[in-house]
Amino acid sequence: MVLKRPPEAGDILQGTLDMLILRTLVLGPAHGHTITENIERTSENALDVEQGSLYPALHRLEDRGWLSSEWGVSENNRRAKFYKLTARGRKELNAAAGRWRRMTHAIGLILGEANE
Amino acid sequence: MSLRRFMHRSLKDEDLAEEIESHLAHERDRNDARGLRPEEARREARLKFGNPRAIREDVWHYRSLPWLENGWRDLRFALRSLAKTPGFTAIAILVIAVGIGVNTAVFSVIDAVLLKPLTYPDPQSLMLLMNATPRGSFPGANIPKFNIWRQQSSIFERVAADDFGGAGMNLTGGDHPQQVQGFHVSADYFALFGAPLAAGRTFTAAEDSPNGGHVVVLSYGLWKNRFGGAPNIVGQTIQLDGQAYLVVGVIGRGFVTDIPADLWIPFQFDLNSQDMAHYFTVAARLKPGITVPQANAQLRLAADQYRRAYGNRAIGPEDGFSVESLQEFMIGDTRTPLLVLLGAVGLVLLIACANVANLLLARAASRRRELATRAALGAGRGQIIRQLLTESLTLSLTGGALGLILGFVGVRLLLAINAGGLPRLGEDGSAVTLDVNVLLFTLGVSVVTGILFGLVPAISASRPNLAATLNEGGSRSSVGFRSGKLRSALVVSEMAMALILVIGAALLIRTFQKLEGVDPGFETHNVVTMAMSVSGDRFQKTGPVAQVIRNGRDRIMAIPGVVEVGATNCLPLAGGFGMGFDILGRPKGDSTSSGGAGFYSVSWSYFDAYKIPLARGRNFTEHDDAAAPGVVIINQALARQYWPNGDPLKDRIQIGADAGPAFAEDPRQVIGIVGNTHDEGLNRDVSPIMFIPVAQMPDLETALNSRVAPLWWIVRSTADPHTLVASISAALREASGGLPVAHIRTMEEIEALNTSRQRFNMLLLTVFGSAGLLMAAIGVYGVMSYSVQQRTQELGIRVALGAQASDLRGMVIGQGMLLALMGVAIGIGGAFWLTRFLASFLFGVKSWDPLVFIATPLLLTGVALISVWIPAIRATRVDPMTALRLE
Repeated sequence: MVLKRPPEAGDILQGTLDMLILRTLVLGPAHGHTITENIERTSENALDVEQGSLYPALHRLEDRGWLSSEWGVSENNRRAKFYKLTARGRKELNAAAGRWRRMTHAIGLILGEANE
Repeated sequence: MSLRRFMHRSLKDEDLAEEIESHLAHERDRNDARGLRPEEARREARLKFGNPRAIREDVWHYRSLPWLENGWRDLRFALRSLAKTPGFTAIAILVIAVGIGVNTAVFSVIDAVLLKPLTYPDPQSLMLLMNATPRGSFPGANIPKFNIWRQQSSIFERVAADDFGGAGMNLTGGDHPQQVQGFHVSADYFALFGAPLAAGRTFTAAEDSPNGGHVVVLSYGLWKNRFGGAPNIVGQTIQLDGQAYLVVGVIGRGFVTDIPADLWIPFQFDLNSQDMAHYFTVAARLKPGITVPQANAQLRLAADQYRRAYGNRAIGPEDGFSVESLQEFMIGDTRTPLLVLLGAVGLVLLIACANVANLLLARAASRRRELATRAALGAGRGQIIRQLLTESLTLSLTGGALGLILGFVGVRLLLAINAGGLPRLGEDGSAVTLDVNVLLFTLGVSVVTGILFGLVPAISASRPNLAATLNEGGSRSSVGFRSGKLRSALVVSEMAMALILVIGAALLIRTFQKLEGVDPGFETHNVVTMAMSVSGDRFQKTGPVAQVIRNGRDRIMAIPGVVEVGATNCLPLAGGFGMGFDILGRPKGDSTSSGGAGFYSVSWSYFDAYKIPLARGRNFTEHDDAAAPGVVIINQALARQYWPNGDPLKDRIQIGADAGPAFAEDPRQVIGIVGNTHDEGLNRDVSPIMFIPVAQMPDLETALNSRVAPLWWIVRSTADPHTLVASISAALREASGGLPVAHIRTMEEIEALNTSRQRFNMLLLTVFGSAGLLMAAIGVYGVMSYSVQQRTQELGIRVALGAQASDLRGMVIGQGMLLALMGVAIGIGGAFWLTRFLASFLFGVKSWDPLVFIATPLLLTGVALISVWIPAIRATRVDPMTALRLE
């Protein structure tokens, strides 16, 4: 899966990226670079987060009140902006994950039938 | 909130830049850890991240309000671009300012006269009671009518009578006597119009009945000016017409009447009176929920009741009663003229728009490379149109702001000229104010104007053939076929509209000439008139009035320079009273035996004072007094109408038989026939008039006359009568026992006042027509100059190939005149159709007056010829070598 922002798929994929960011932050506050690494590593490098989408997404999520941010010092001893999941963000993550599971389940059913 | 996002976006952007920097650093750290060389680590990090600026722009856009930001950018760009061409900008703004200015001026008058509601509470339900006849409705009432109307409690909440001041009253008892505007009103008047009280109370029902005593209510202005705002004024007495009146109240400041009232006194009607004389008007307030048609239906029944009580002579079989909205009545016949004026200034504005659109087209043509470059760099068509529209709106709004100032100065000048008796303007036009309506109108006109003249040039300019424009060697070789056509079309329409305006102006100028040419029937030069109020108890009988006239004449005649002195109950040109009459010896009730005519009671010297010629018979003499047999003089119009073949001097007439028994006079012998005078105005036909000597008036008529009209003095002199006014007033004061005079005007001033509306309309339309013509001429000149300039090269080639100067001149003139003549042709068609709306303005001229329809197109063609001459001369001066080297 490559997040390349093709115009038609934009919404779905953007929603997906939002969900992945929220999911990553469940583990605790993190800065942008860590989030990228985390998504890439957890997906066993199957997903390649394009930086061009990440930062706009982070700012949008913060704007909606799902994330809060704070400047701090990173593990490399550098200044970095740490994002933290808010209570509303946690709720949104649950809802999004639920939607995602229902959809993949449905798609799975269709594909499963086709395979048989 | 998006607005908050918008406000903080600069801060956020710095934040994001730092965040990106931090991200890149972490990526470098990781690459370092993977063992890459430092510069390799940096390069990889950058490659992986992509363009940080693009990301920042992404977030920036997310945080922006596109319309606000684009609008602001367009505005700044527009201001810069307009500032670069100050000449163009100044001309465009000036043209728009003139166009919008005249519209603002005319609209502010329309606003005051037509649109603003009356200042009384709940003005829509205020009605005027009318006498409805098949020939139209008119106000006016007698006591029996008033009595019946006030009983219609199913439709009216309140009914009240008033007489608009009538004769005026004399306020004495101070240092100087003063003539004041005293309204007679019935007790309900103040409640009907919702008049606020500053002190005391209004009249009680008992005070408004016969023998109710002498009581008065003062206006705020009179209380302040004459009585210094004395706090204890209520309960004091003042001297009116030599009688003591008890002040019972003062009306508050905000209360206005169309003719400003100084004080009010009760009518004290005897409601059982059978007096048929009409000398006041009646207003009423409809009950909530009652409509005008419902009220009129009920009034038809009331008219039947009136007819049963007083007979067919009192109210014709086809006649009846009706109501008309008070506001509509006050607006009266001024609506059409004002709307025609609005149409005229609309045309001026359209011409201004066409002119500016033309300037913009020329400007867009010279900016084609700029616009094409912007399009090539990615500006969409919408963006270019929006940019150009912002420029035109900037122009129109600036012009509108300037126009608002021009309009307001202009309207003051107009009102100073004299608005020709327009109602509701207040004293010196004080009711014409810069209110929200006017501001909104000007703003709206400015925006519409900006879009109107900006849109077409913007659309046409945004349609450039990119490659062609950018590849063009010089921008001069092609004019751009489409914009050339558009500019021609604009010029044609400018000429057409200007022609319509000038034809309108010419028709009004002809009207005014015709009016000036009307012979009023008497000599106006060196005659001064003044009014003396004789409304008190002293003048209820004829004797004292005749005595004052005799004394006054004797004293004034003694003043050096005075030629003759007359007195009358109404002035010519001002309209007057009417009475019915019967010719004795003819069958009763026949249309050839009875009729109505103007009724003048005059002193015996009246005709000499006015130099009205005697056609037949004899003039009045000093001896035609109460003791002598009754006599009457008629004018030629009356003689022609009722004695087409007979001799009026052989007949006797009886006046006033239809006005009730109280007014029926003894028969009078017709002793003379005088020349016609224009009684109701120069633009009206002469009407039949009968004159009777003041000294022979029945006492009852004198009492009514003294109440409703002042006594007018007429003095003819050898020199400018203004120099005699002081001595005449002094003589009259002595002769009358201290009565003041007012409304001092020469007959020439009255004549000018009589034609003031025509003069007003003529002046306005002449100004508008000239403005339109000037702009159209500039338009023709502009298009032809531009065309010559654009075709320098072509003209150079023609010269090089042997064309003569006269050929080139002829070509340019031919093309320019073709446009002008097309405009003139269209304009003549338009004018034929539009001048019908001017019909009510015209006098003695047909709306298709041949002289006007021939002379005006010639004038416009001449002006157009001058406008194309200069570019044509310029075309002949093209030097072929220079022209060809321009490339």
